[in-house]
Amino acid sequence: MLTRRTFIGAVGAGAATWGTVRPALGDVTPHRRIAIITTVWTYLSHAQHMGDRFLVGYPRHGQWHKPPLQVVSLYVDQKPEGDLSAQRAAEHGFSIYPTVAEALRCGGDKLAVDGIVTIGEHGNYPRNEKGQILYPRFEFFQQAVKVFEQDQRVVPIFNDKHLSYSWEKAQKMVADSKRLKFPFLAGSSLPVTWRLPPVEVPYGAELQEALMVGVGSSDAMDYHALEAMQCMVERRKGGETGIKSVQMLEGDAVWKAGNDGRWSTRLLEAALSRSDSLQGDSQLDSRPQDLAHNGKLQKLVKDPAAYLIERTDGLRTTLLMLNGATQDFTFAAKLKGGEILSTQFFLPPTPNVTYSACLVAQIEEMILTGRAPYPVERTQIASAMLDRCLDSKMADHRRIETPELDISYQAPRESRFGG
Amino acid sequence: MHCSRRSFLAGLAASLPLGEAVWAADRRPRIAALTTIYHKYSHSQHIVDRFLDGYGWESRHHRPPMDVVSLYVEQVGDNDLSDERAKRHRQLKIYPTIAEALTQGGSKLAVDGVLLIGEHGNYPNNEKGQKLYPRYEYFQQVVDVYRESGRTAPLFNDKHLSWNWDYARKMYDTAKEMDFGFMAGSSLPVTWRQPSVDLPRDAEVEEAVGVWGGGIDGGDIHVLEAMQAIVERRRGGETGVRTVEALRGERFWNALDAGSWEAGGWDSRLLNAALCRSNQLKTARPTYSNVFPTAEDLRRLAPASYAYRFEYIDGLKATIVQFQPDQKTGGVVGDCNVAARLAGGEVFSVLFYLPYYSMRNFFSPQVNHIESLFLTGKSSYPVERTLLTTGMTAAGIESLYQHQKRLETPHLAIRYEPTRESTFWRS
Repeated sequence: MLTRRTFIGAVGAGAATWGTVRPALGDVTPHRRIAIITTVWTYLSHAQHMGDRFLVGYPRHGQWHKPPLQVVSLYVDQKPEGDLSAQRAAEHGFSIYPTVAEALRCGGDKLAVDGIVTIGEHGNYPRNEKGQILYPRFEFFQQAVKVFEQDQRVVPIFNDKHLSYSWEKAQKMVADSKRLKFPFLAGSSLPVTWRLPPVEVPYGAELQEALMVGVGSSDAMDYHALEAMQCMVERRKGGETGIKSVQMLEGDAVWKAGNDGRWSTRLLEAALSRSDSLQGDSQLDSRPQDLAHNGKLQKLVKDPAAYLIERTDGLRTTLLMLNGATQDFTFAAKLKGGEILSTQFFLPPTPNVTYSACLVAQIEEMILTGRAPYPVERTQIASAMLDRCLDSKMADHRRIETPELDISYQAPRESRFGG
Repeated sequence: MHCSRRSFLAGLAASLPLGEAVWAADRRPRIAALTTIYHKYSHSQHIVDRFLDGYGWESRHHRPPMDVVSLYVEQVGDNDLSDERAKRHRQLKIYPTIAEALTQGGSKLAVDGVLLIGEHGNYPNNEKGQKLYPRYEYFQQVVDVYRESGRTAPLFNDKHLSWNWDYARKMYDTAKEMDFGFMAGSSLPVTWRQPSVDLPRDAEVEEAVGVWGGGIDGGDIHVLEAMQAIVERRRGGETGVRTVEALRGERFWNALDAGSWEAGGWDSRLLNAALCRSNQLKTARPTYSNVFPTAEDLRRLAPASYAYRFEYIDGLKATIVQFQPDQKTGGVVGDCNVAARLAGGEVFSVLFYLPYYSMRNFFSPQVNHIESLFLTGKSSYPVERTLLTTGMTAAGIESLYQHQKRLETPHLAIRYEPTRESTFWRS
């Protein structure tokens, strides 16, 4: 079985294998100064969940870990009712600045922080015709890049969730980070949260097909699901090769595609076998059910969507958004030889949402070491495939060739989930 | 037939770890379920439904290779589901007595396995706060049928054996004497863990702390089973428990402040480590969603807290801390976590994760082990664990009842060897 234990045995890690406390990286590192650039800081917003962890610490390896990072400045784009930014600034002794540049320079004339955390999620922003919320992540990033260029110094940047709603903007962000040579980490917490069971695609495995099940709205939750799938399939033999084509289906066409073998019912069964929250009869009286085969799935899911993503190396990967069937994010893949691997990307409950602690640990490591623990191309390709799937939706659900998504990269061998 | 089946199964057992346990006899095993009540979210619903409808397991919707053919339900209320289950599963019949369920209405034992699920339902509490579920009484009726039939079948008992130590001991002794497979306990020892780790066998353990949100008796057994599933793996195996001391009110808060076993409490590092594994720390400060509680927070959020401190025969010290809220407060922690200090000072800590969503899937690994019991006649883990935790639960409650008096527990000198392989949910 492909357990985390097997993995850890393989890389020969030490005491962390069985849950003992290990010294946190930060315990021996001097404090670094960081700026938070965000859309909104209200209770249960991403900025609150993640930003607070830098202020009050977070659970890590069985300890309450206080990061050796000091939040010194904040830019917050919107201050609606429930805004907490002024209270946090007063309590924790940092300043709120009226522009991104001033926050990065702490009111002075030169870049004055050692790391930047941009969280462009939540807040009141318009949607475009594709249903994408126009969060200003690209704009935040460009303002940081401008400061880097003017001040002739760069620092690591973390960008929460997708780089941008636009694949072209995402591409430019990655290009800027490479041009100016600064560490750039981005993405969702799903790739780094706990998994049930704690499995990983064996590094270099030959994959035959992969399927992800997700729930929630577009383009907030389908993004999480796509990046979760990406962190699994990027480990395949040859690494990521890019996207050849995408097609988004909705309604009955989703079920027809399954019947036609365009996505695998066997993998759907495997993914749903990892769900803790099947709906319908399971919600009614808590009975387990074989939802992949009992004929009730189509009644439960009024508005199904399938994101069919064909890779340049021929791998077929599919995201099924099945609102009404489940409340979990689950994944299944078929390996060459027929073995099926499946898991749930576990999202611990509100309000703790400790999955975000798993993500903050990665951000902290990047700022302290100057190295992103996993490639930003993972986030770039997931951002791009979502944007292009929504183009397919707008184009009468036609299949779209995507030669522009020739994003290839090698995944890191080391696993980064749980913690 | 009985003897030949046993010997056949001994051979079959070797293939079980592969997860391909298939009943290869001339028919599928028949199972009887005996339960106090059968409604949504009752233990019988969770366990029996998995036999009837299957459950997600290792990338499949797994259907146990056996049939629940008879059901006894003592209390049938408006929210009963047993009728619906019997209508939908034609092999299942409901019988008015335990004996009839076991004999399928005939005169001899007619099933190959028994589920005894005495949890939920309307039963009185005694003066100590224990709910008087009739598990012992059910068990006695089962062994009566075994005796009259000249044949036994493996039996699973949900949660602790009984609220009453003498009853529990008698159940254990009877199963030994009649030599049938006997498995029991909570789902906590077999559910997911975060991180997904077990204590290495033969680790030297000095002290352990388990935390949860309270509930005398019904809540105590879960934390004790979780903690016991960890500490039983220590060097020398299990030796049993020598003393118990319950703490409540000011004595509890003084023990918390003491910060160490020697000072009358428990190692505060272990309590902190256990709380740092939690995914459900209650909000200690308004507008913050995940902060570590201060000592003042603990007192304010869980004023009705209590603890049981146990000394084991080999010197191990162990405490369960139950952060119980009152009617106005939210409590401290919503999940069960255990930490242990090893020789040399290292701290091991783990969360026992219970997926509390529509299906309560922490029953899935438990049912998987029960299937193995029914197929092989052998329990996947020693029933002595549950015998001991049953006794620890009753002893802790007794100490509370006797005004927190420290009690000697010579009856809990229960020795056993844990399994070498881990039995919690990992696949």
